[in-house]
Amino acid sequence: MSDATTSAVMPGGGIARRPLHCFILADCSGSMKGEKMQALNFAIADMLPHLAAWERDQEQAAVFVRVIAFATEPTWHVAEPTSPASLRWSPLASVERGLTNMAPVFEMVAEALSPGQLERRALRPAVLLVTDGLPTDPPERFDSALETLVSGRAGRAALRLAVAIGRDAKSEALTRFIGDPSVPVLVADNTDEIAERLVVASLAVSRMSEVGADKQAIASQLLQPQVPAAAPLDLDTIV
Amino acid sequence: MTDHQAHLPQQEWFVAGASAIGAAHVARGAPCQDAFGLVAPSVAGDPVVVALADGHGAARHFRSEAGAEFAVEAATRVALRHTERLAAMTQPADVQAAALAEVAAEIVQDWFQAVARAVEKDPFSPDELAQMAWGGDSVEIPYGATLLTAVVAGRWLVCLQIGDGDVVVVHPDGSALLPIPVDPSLDGVRTTSLCQPDALESFREFVQDLEIQPVLAVLMVSDGYSNAQSADPWYPAVGADLARLLRHEGPEWVAERLPEWARRCASSEGSGDDTTMVLMVRRGAAPPVGSVSPSQARTVTESR
Repeated sequence: MSDATTSAVMPGGGIARRPLHCFILADCSGSMKGEKMQALNFAIADMLPHLAAWERDQEQAAVFVRVIAFATEPTWHVAEPTSPASLRWSPLASVERGLTNMAPVFEMVAEALSPGQLERRALRPAVLLVTDGLPTDPPERFDSALETLVSGRAGRAALRLAVAIGRDAKSEALTRFIGDPSVPVLVADNTDEIAERLVVASLAVSRMSEVGADKQAIASQLLQPQVPAAAPLDLDTIV
Repeated sequence: MTDHQAHLPQQEWFVAGASAIGAAHVARGAPCQDAFGLVAPSVAGDPVVVALADGHGAARHFRSEAGAEFAVEAATRVALRHTERLAAMTQPADVQAAALAEVAAEIVQDWFQAVARAVEKDPFSPDELAQMAWGGDSVEIPYGATLLTAVVAGRWLVCLQIGDGDVVVVHPDGSALLPIPVDPSLDGVRTTSLCQPDALESFREFVQDLEIQPVLAVLMVSDGYSNAQSADPWYPAVGADLARLLRHEGPEWVAERLPEWARRCASSEGSGDDTTMVLMVRRGAAPPVGSVSPSQARTVTESR
């Protein structure tokens, strides 16, 4: 083995950034039909380049996006973890008379976060819920599915944010989904605001996933119109 | 210059190490909070001690860079003090018990004393005291750090660990293992630490009789290294490649490349986190070139 050939080698299977898995749970219930669905599709398509730019500008994470469309039942819209830079957005469609059942989508995410599904070195996953309505599940069903989501190691560590489309959608259920009183539900008062809120939410939840990001500092910036480019550094802490 | 390296070519055991500051630390103007220490033998049979510490870096651990330095100083000082006694032991259970009850206990005590001296010399500012009071933090919390230590004393290899990071034992045939069991309380964000009031209870240990099961090398790494590795699990390939490089190129060649390897792992192509590698190599333990089976002699992989 000559020095010329070995100077570039390094033991092991190569290096890579740490994966950051970002799940978008998109409400496609019947009430989303029309302008709201159109705005949500625009918002997600608009959000992806922002996420790609954030990924490029920071030093730790390789972002992988997955999308679940949910109404009465959830379905994978983007099932494979996909880089935001390479994701070509295929529009979501609302489900005629579809309900806003959140429990099945929580269980679907819980399955995707179950042991062995994520890389051990992955950063804390991010889960972003976008909805225009209150959950239509029976309360006990909602509670048990949320418990399933947060009972696993990755689900418990996951950073969860919610965007409510319209004031009426800002429910106590969304606050419980987030699971952190310091993190607000973001409200888009009209369809024009959906894109902005989604960009803010997706960047915030990604930045919170960075190693040691100061979650509270980022959360306090959530309600401000502009999100700063970099999170305050706040690395490991003790058990 | 934030990166640093050291290698001490001596008898029988060769030790080397390197640290590199993480790209995320550079981007935010934070220092490298890893530290390492090496004690090489003067002659064959002398004890060998290596230590690696990773300061936590979170806001409440605002002096963790110093805490990591104190940790490696405490570990090398205390471990050296115990090597003669450990070397005289004949039963692994006795070594294991002494490693925890004496060596780890004294390391914790030594580290707490070093923190107390540092605070006396450089008292906390009113702002720092206010921050500590708000969090209910003791004077040790700002200095929080993890610690990995490996000692060769006579026939015994003794490893001690608190917090994250990894110890990889590489056997002469290139097989590798992580001998210290994973602590389930470590979740990638939170870690056990020397600054805990019950730090001793969080120490994990490993003892190996080198006369019964020889090793080729021991690699200790901070989590910036393991988090950069794309393979899962990463240590089998790293062990096999290290064995191959040590056999073909020798320990000095490998030692010269540790800074570059650490730097690549710490870069934005890797974990972006501070990265430290400490290597102990037993000279003559690698089988001669050509004596390894084809399955073991896998090609060294180029990093991306």
